[in-house]
Amino acid sequence: MNNVTFGRYSPLNTFTHKVDPRNKILILILLMVSIFLQFHVWSTTLLLSGVFLILLICLMLISKVNFLDLFKSLKSMWFLVIFLLVIYVFIPNPTYKFVCYRFNDHYAIYWDSFYQSGYIILRLILMISLTMVLTSTTKPMDLTYAFEWYMTPLKVIRFPVHEIAMTLSIALRFIPTLLDETDRIMKAQASRGVDFNRGGLFKRFKAVISLIIPLFVSAIQRSEELSDAMEARGYNPREKRTRYRKLTFSWRDIIALLFGLAIFGGILYLFIYDHNVEEIDLFMQIFGINVGF
Amino acid sequence: MKKISVKNLCFSYVKDEPIVKHVSFNIHEGSYVSIVGHNGSGKSTLARLLIGLLAPDDGEIYIDDELLTNKTVRNIRKKIGLVFQNPDNQFIGATVEDDIAFGLENRQIKREKMHEIIEKFAKRVGMEDFLDKEPSRLSGGQKQRVAIAGALSLGPEIIILDEATSMLDPKGKSDIKELIEEMRKDNPSLTILSITHDVEEAFLSDEIIIMSKGEIAFKGKPEEVFSNREVLKSLNLEMPFIMDLKDRLKSEGINVDKSKDLDEIAEVLWPLK
Ligand SMILES: Nc1ncnc2c1ncn2[C@@H]1O[C@H](COP(=O)(O)OP(=O)(O)O)[C@@H](O)[C@H]1O
Ligand SMILES: [Mg+2]
Repeated sequence: MNNVTFGRYSPLNTFTHKVDPRNKILILILLMVSIFLQFHVWSTTLLLSGVFLILLICLMLISKVNFLDLFKSLKSMWFLVIFLLVIYVFIPNPTYKFVCYRFNDHYAIYWDSFYQSGYIILRLILMISLTMVLTSTTKPMDLTYAFEWYMTPLKVIRFPVHEIAMTLSIALRFIPTLLDETDRIMKAQASRGVDFNRGGLFKRFKAVISLIIPLFVSAIQRSEELSDAMEARGYNPREKRTRYRKLTFSWRDIIALLFGLAIFGGILYLFIYDHNVEEIDLFMQIFGINVGF
Repeated sequence: MKKISVKNLCFSYVKDEPIVKHVSFNIHEGSYVSIVGHNGSGKSTLARLLIGLLAPDDGEIYIDDELLTNKTVRNIRKKIGLVFQNPDNQFIGATVEDDIAFGLENRQIKREKMHEIIEKFAKRVGMEDFLDKEPSRLSGGQKQRVAIAGALSLGPEIIILDEATSMLDPKGKSDIKELIEEMRKDNPSLTILSITHDVEEAFLSDEIIIMSKGEIAFKGKPEEVFSNREVLKSLNLEMPFIMDLKDRLKSEGINVDKSKDLDEIAEVLWPLK
């Protein structure tokens, strides 16, 4: 139960940890958009992805994110990788140009498909890693505060921003409690002879049911008591409340934001140039090499 | 002065299954009253009625001579702090300081003032070194102390403890008992209503109300309750250690009726041969 390490918050004190969570979310979005921009010449896109990879590694080093955790969580992606490869390679696409192997007049495998699937996987890895940097350097509660802050304008159309943020923060607060509870119920059921690890599909299904039902019952009881406790302490979602936690913007945020904007702006400029003026072939321009196609 | 006055209170969750039946009692300001009774006798229901989480079917509740109604409930609730049994289910904040802050935020206390208040009450319950700790890293007794700090920080005139110690280990229990004593010394006008199974704890209070099947079975001073063997037997209650000791000494021919605590009994006993 406790081996979920992917992106779990690690209480350190690095530069990234100290950046305002609202700012971190904004920068994450800027970087993700930059990663998604695709150029006409495939080698240009790939080269820029490589630049992102180097940036990501630097960011992970600064934030002291555990590389091992990242590899562990990426390992579970192999199925997706194969799935994407099969889809891209075997499903014909009229825009593909470079034949790799021709079966007959109507059907062939193209180099383009390998590039496309490889590129998608690279993008996915980049995005997962970036998100992981965010979640492992930001307290879950701070993420909720940031979320609430971004959603504030929606209050105008009576979207229950505060209620959702409060629900989210309570859910986060109760994850460890419910994990403990799950553990306890599993042990209690195991002592009654329920086997969670062996048996056929039906038997396992029954075992899981014997876990889920008590867990639900206890969660509902907890929520009833919790709402009583909140009301007893004067909580009323419709009333104004003050805030103990304050999100503050510091010089670190300015540096981080400038960094994010610089990357986003640079890539966006190249992208617009590539699409409206002329195709950019970075390999040709930097190394003087024509990588074909 | 009457702080809490309950008149002919009736309540049922399900029709025709009354849980609280025609309950009436008064509690004076600054007194410490224990409510004891079996599981399911309606004690928690009574506590929820007093703070207006449930509305009575019949009867009235007065706090400071003000009738509890839909209109007055928000104001009355400000005077009452409630601490529940399960330490986990009343911990709302992500950390100790956030949890104490929760009530203050609801009261719209200014941020600048909050920190001071949080520190003061964390210190009061001995949790000042744990302000940034998450609940999963605290013991049950520590969480319960945080809950008490949260209640105290709102400056209540009445504190209701609903089996606040029943899920704690002996150390946690005795810590909370000590805390109750200290709270009373800090603020003699604080009215404490403690629902408990612990006879030793009930023995410390000014008055005991025994509930049975939704009714008040007995009400009186601890000495009266615990010297009434019939009542104790019919309610299946144990006798506090000190009362039991006095009784047994008496049957040995040693009279220690005047002694109030164990030290005083020792004073009587040691010269004897
Ligand atoms: N939310 C509820 N809905 C229906 N019945 C309830 C509810 N809460 C408690 N009861 C019933 O009311 C009775 C008294 O419960 P409670 O006041 O919690 O007793 P105590 O605190 O003395 O153990 C019990 O029989 C219980 O089953
Ligand atoms: Mg109860």
